[in-house]
Amino acid sequence: MKNQLDKLVALQDLDLMLQELKEVEALGFDVKSEGSDTLKNARSEMISKIPKPLLGNYERLRKRYKRAIVPIKDDKCLGCFMKLPTYLLTHMQRDEQVITCEGCGRILYWLM
Amino acid sequence: MAIDDLITYFREDIFFEDFIADTKEEALDKLVEKFVDAGIIKNKELVAEMLHRRESIGSTGIGKGIAVPHGRTTAAPVLTIAFAKVNAGLDWDSLDGKPVHLIFVVIAPPFEESNLYLPVLGRLVEFLSKESNRNRLNDVTSFDEFRELLTE
Repeated sequence: MKNQLDKLVALQDLDLMLQELKEVEALGFDVKSEGSDTLKNARSEMISKIPKPLLGNYERLRKRYKRAIVPIKDDKCLGCFMKLPTYLLTHMQRDEQVITCEGCGRILYWLM
Repeated sequence: MAIDDLITYFREDIFFEDFIADTKEEALDKLVEKFVDAGIIKNKELVAEMLHRRESIGSTGIGKGIAVPHGRTTAAPVLTIAFAKVNAGLDWDSLDGKPVHLIFVVIAPPFEESNLYLPVLGRLVEFLSKESNRNRLNDVTSFDEFRELLTE
């Protein structure tokens, strides 16, 4: 993973997979009995690579909003739909840093 | 968008009637690359990681020559399905141990307006459970034929 944001996104993807394991299994897909533990182990490994303040923010946001990281579409945060200031968007594209929405605090992800 | 409208989630630029790969891992990586080439996703690494991780907890080879690798990822803007036909067959650690000839890669964002990911996945599995549909998919040679089959 090239940056902290990618690691956080991978963590959110992993959390989603954990949440939907039973639903996917109910559709007839193979999920090994140790599948949940495998994902939990992968999660532990993943969080060990993320700085504690960032991880703490992710967990707080996840508890509050269910999805801590949301995409940007048409220059808007898709969590609260607030239009994001130009300076924030420019900064984000340039540095690929972890940027949060000034309206809701969610972590922003640029899709394209 | 109706769940029954499966075809709306497919695109001609990620439809491959003669896809070649030597391993399951290679097939996944190559297909993720196709999503990038089609401009659907930008972050190949994140999507590939999610799909490989999904395989690590159980094969998405559902038997009868079909594999449906799938998952939600923050890196996906919309629910999209790629189709690849592997005429030579490919080992996918499938439930029945048979090689895979038809691959459907389903990727979806963490949340959609209508939350169709699981219903669409279920509808696809239901469609593929019919032998006549599988046989016809194996004979498909163009996206138009594919569209016709899915919209009947």
